[in-house]
Amino acid sequence: METEPTRIVVYHCRNLRLFDAGEQKNFARSMPGLSLVAVPCSGKLEAHHLLKTLAANAEGVLVLACAEQACQYLEGSKRSHKRADYARKWLEKLAIEPDRIEFVHLPPMDLAALDRVLKEFVTKLESFKGTLNGAQAG
Amino acid sequence: MIVAELKEINEIRKMIDRYEAILVVGCDSCVAECAAGGNRETMLLAAALKLSYKKDRKNPVITEACLDRQCVDDFIERIAHLVPEHDVILSLGCGAGVQALARVYTDKPIIPALDTLFIGETEMRGVWQENCLGCGQCKLGYFGAVCPVTRCSKKLMNGPCGGSKGGRCEVDPDVPCGWDMIMRRLEAIGELDRLKEYVPPVNWATSHSGGPRRVVREDQKP
Repeated sequence: METEPTRIVVYHCRNLRLFDAGEQKNFARSMPGLSLVAVPCSGKLEAHHLLKTLAANAEGVLVLACAEQACQYLEGSKRSHKRADYARKWLEKLAIEPDRIEFVHLPPMDLAALDRVLKEFVTKLESFKGTLNGAQAG
Repeated sequence: MIVAELKEINEIRKMIDRYEAILVVGCDSCVAECAAGGNRETMLLAAALKLSYKKDRKNPVITEACLDRQCVDDFIERIAHLVPEHDVILSLGCGAGVQALARVYTDKPIIPALDTLFIGETEMRGVWQENCLGCGQCKLGYFGAVCPVTRCSKKLMNGPCGGSKGGRCEVDPDVPCGWDMIMRRLEAIGELDRLKEYVPPVNWATSHSGGPRRVVREDQKP
C-alpha cells in the first residue's frame, strides 16, 4: 500500500539565502509533502501562523532562522524563537506533540544542513501516532 | 486599560462544545495591549480551537473577527453580517465587551474567553500592573499620583503602616511599598506638604457595593 507523504511546511528566512532563483520549487518537488515558504525575516512569524499551519493540513512546521547575532533585523531571530516556543507550549496544552513545531538556527546557504534537518524531522513526525496524522482540518 | 487573561482552553471548550458554528470575536483595545484579546490573540485562539477539534476528529465552523472596541455599539455592529450564520459568539473582550455583545445580539449566546482582572498599566513589555480599583473617589492629587488603594497592600490612606523594610511591603516583599513610592514621588515634586492634609477613608458605598455604577452625561446624550 502506498503511504501518504508526511506534510511539512518550512518557513525559512530569506536572509539564509538557501535557494537561488527557481531552485526552491525544485527542492520542494524533490520531497513530496514538503512546502517551502520564504519570509522576509523569521521574526515576521507569529505563534498563530504556526498553529494555523498545523490546523490547516500540515503534520509538522519547521522554522528556519538565522543565528541570533546574524539577524538583519536585530531581534527577529530571537523573537521567532520565543514565538515558536510559545506555540509549542500551546500544543502541550492541547495534548498535541510539541515537537510538531521545530525551530532551527541554520547556517546560511547550507542546503546539506537543511536536508539533514528535514530527514530528522520527518523521522520524528512519523513516530507520532494518532493525534493530527490523518485528521481532517477543522 | 482593562487587563485580562485567556481562560484555560479546556474551560473554553467545555462551554462551546455544544455548538457547530463558532464566531471568535476579539477586541483590539485594552485587551490587545495586554496581549489577551487583540487581533493576534483572536487568530491564535481560533487556530488553537481548530487544532483542538481536529485532534478530536470534530469539525465545527470557526470564524474569527476582531472589533476595534467591543464595548461600543458602532463597532459591535460591524460583525452583524457574520452573526446570523453562527450559533455562538466566543468573546475575547473584557466583561463589559461580553455584556455589550449580549445586549446587541439578543438571540445569540455569548461566551467569555477571557478572565477580566483589573485596571492597570503596562509596566514593561509583558508585565501589567494593577494601579486603579475604580473606587470612585480619586485622591491621586494628594498622593503624588500613586494610588494608596491599589499600591498599598493595606489600602491605607493616611501614611505607611510602619512594617515596610527597604521600600518593600511587609505583606509581600516582592511588592514595593505603596507609601514609600508616595513619599518619594511627593518629595521629588516638592509637595510633601500635601501629606499634612487629612484624607478621609474611602467611602466604599460608591464602589462595588450597591449595584452597578453608571456615569451619565446629559451633554453627551443624543
